[in-house]
Amino acid sequence: MDIDLLLNWLQASLRLGAPLILVSIGEVYTERTGVLNIGIEGTMLTGALTAVAISYFTGNVFIAALGAMVIGGLIALGHAYLTVTRRANQVVSGAMINFFALGATNVMFARLFERERERVAVFPVLSSDGLREIPFLGQVLFSQPLIVWIAIILPFISAWVLYRTVWGLNIRAVGDHPQAVATAGLSVIKHKYLGVLMSGVFAGLGGCALTLSELGYFAPGGMTAGRGFIVLAAVIVGRWDPVRTAVICLFFGAADALQLRVQALGGIIPYQFLAMIPYLLTIAALAGLVGRTVPPKTWGLPYDPKEY
Amino acid sequence: MIKATALREKLVLPAIGELLLSSFRPLLGILLAFIVSAGMIALAGANPIQAYRALIEGAIGSPQSIANTMVRASPLLLGGLGAAVGVKAGLWNVGIEGQMYAGAVGATAVALIPLPVPSWLHVTLSMLAAAVFGAAWGLIPAYLRAYRGVNEVVTTLMLNYVGIYFASWLVHEPQPLAEPDAFYPMSRIILPSARLPILLKGSSLHPGPIIGIALCVVAYLILRYTPFGFRTRLIGSNPEVARYTGMNVNRQILFVLILAAAMGGVAGSGEILGLKLRLYDFFVGGVGYEALAVALLVMGNPLLVIPGALFFGGLKSGAASMQITTGIEAPMALVIQALCVLFVIGVGFAERRWIDRRKQKVTEEAKANGY
Repeated sequence: MDIDLLLNWLQASLRLGAPLILVSIGEVYTERTGVLNIGIEGTMLTGALTAVAISYFTGNVFIAALGAMVIGGLIALGHAYLTVTRRANQVVSGAMINFFALGATNVMFARLFERERERVAVFPVLSSDGLREIPFLGQVLFSQPLIVWIAIILPFISAWVLYRTVWGLNIRAVGDHPQAVATAGLSVIKHKYLGVLMSGVFAGLGGCALTLSELGYFAPGGMTAGRGFIVLAAVIVGRWDPVRTAVICLFFGAADALQLRVQALGGIIPYQFLAMIPYLLTIAALAGLVGRTVPPKTWGLPYDPKEY
Repeated sequence: MIKATALREKLVLPAIGELLLSSFRPLLGILLAFIVSAGMIALAGANPIQAYRALIEGAIGSPQSIANTMVRASPLLLGGLGAAVGVKAGLWNVGIEGQMYAGAVGATAVALIPLPVPSWLHVTLSMLAAAVFGAAWGLIPAYLRAYRGVNEVVTTLMLNYVGIYFASWLVHEPQPLAEPDAFYPMSRIILPSARLPILLKGSSLHPGPIIGIALCVVAYLILRYTPFGFRTRLIGSNPEVARYTGMNVNRQILFVLILAAAMGGVAGSGEILGLKLRLYDFFVGGVGYEALAVALLVMGNPLLVIPGALFFGGLKSGAASMQITTGIEAPMALVIQALCVLFVIGVGFAERRWIDRRKQKVTEEAKANGY
């Protein structure tokens, strides 16, 4: 393979992997508390539009990121209310969030923007020119926008919080042994709410990363294109561990980048098969073909305080 | 928190009141969804009453629009049934979208082969091929759920994308199904002998919706009155009792999920044989998820899938005319659909309570049947 092509592919892998990593951080937490949020696809989409809209009107990407996170959090609170408080089915609520988001972003986009592909301010590249001229690393790493760097650092902080703080211990305990948490006098409901809230906040940020890392515009009609579901896949294959999940996200990002290149340039393997990799790998992982994958004990189940 | 629970326990409604409330729940949810959507339409800068009038006009205003609604309801009837059968058994078939693609591939492949048989048989064979392909798509999640205890939600969901890309691969050159030098990736046009007839002149109404309605009725009767149906409802409402009676729960789970997936496959074939006549790349475009929404709206009752699917079909065809009249984009229909389901599950009784009641009912039936 051509060296330029290789560098270009590695750079794209990181850029396409970053939004996935950001979304996965929250999803790990919510699933650790036992609540599956498949609505992250729609939440991400809403975050993407919110970020573009705020960046368009204010020109400030940081306010845009904050706005996307707030909107994501609000959507997640709706999911938490339905699934935790009302104990409605998590798949139903999540799937409807996706629906709602797809319709609403289409309608809102047409209201907010007169032209399609209106360009807005994007995240800056912070590295100096000197760093960018370092061979290999310069192109792959130092020419990345700020949000990609945040996505690289966050999984480690997330792992530290999950494994080294009392709060992280509580989160892990809520998904595996809610009764024990309740017996210890802590609120299971509150921790589940916090877990779900995090999934929404980070899905919003991930959506923001999707549009404001480089593109700078929003394309109506579902521009997330199943990335939320890829994150669900990565969380399972990464076995609910923040760092391992981030690595899998990077791998899926690389598969996506490769798929796009094969689609453009042609190759021996049809690009559709490359695009299937994340999904097939997840099924293989759940089937026990790739190591042992044990979900949190109350994964996807409602919690009824009266049952224990 | 404690106060609220205690209060709820005191408010035990008489049986009739509870029944009335539970059947009104979907209607109340839908009403609330329309009220909230009206607010959103107003926010988007249109008159909600005018928008809803255009919506109703576009859905049922003329024979033409009724035909249109029926055509849109066709995949929702069959796919909704595929999801509903699962819901009754406590299984979540989130994979209708992928099963529709798989079914469409099967149907298209058979519909492209020149067969020396009468047209009705060619159509039937194509649909059977779709059912087989759909079932094949359900096989892996069904096996994993039944014998390995793997959550079927994630596996069926993941297979959706495998189905999308599988169909996409087949309609790209140089695969034999693909139309050469097409402006958009699509299959070759299916043979005239494999096409479903048009029922109403000047519309695209094909027998798909009627097949769907018939299958919903059949499924309802099977679930209600046969041992197979009883076993299906029993594993959905009380798996422990099911196991205790000595029935083969795992095999039942396997059968139900495969059957549900086959329905999804047939849903995909109706679109090809009756409407599009070609397998286009990405042609399902989310209808599989809408079918799931239909099943959820009616809480898995196969008979109620009929009004549910027609309602969603009407929303979609009505939204198109709403866009023309008021400028509110047609995807507004998705928002209304989502709000309907969200309000139905959020309003009134918590789902748990509904499940408890159903559990009690089926367990009593089991006792009466001498288990």
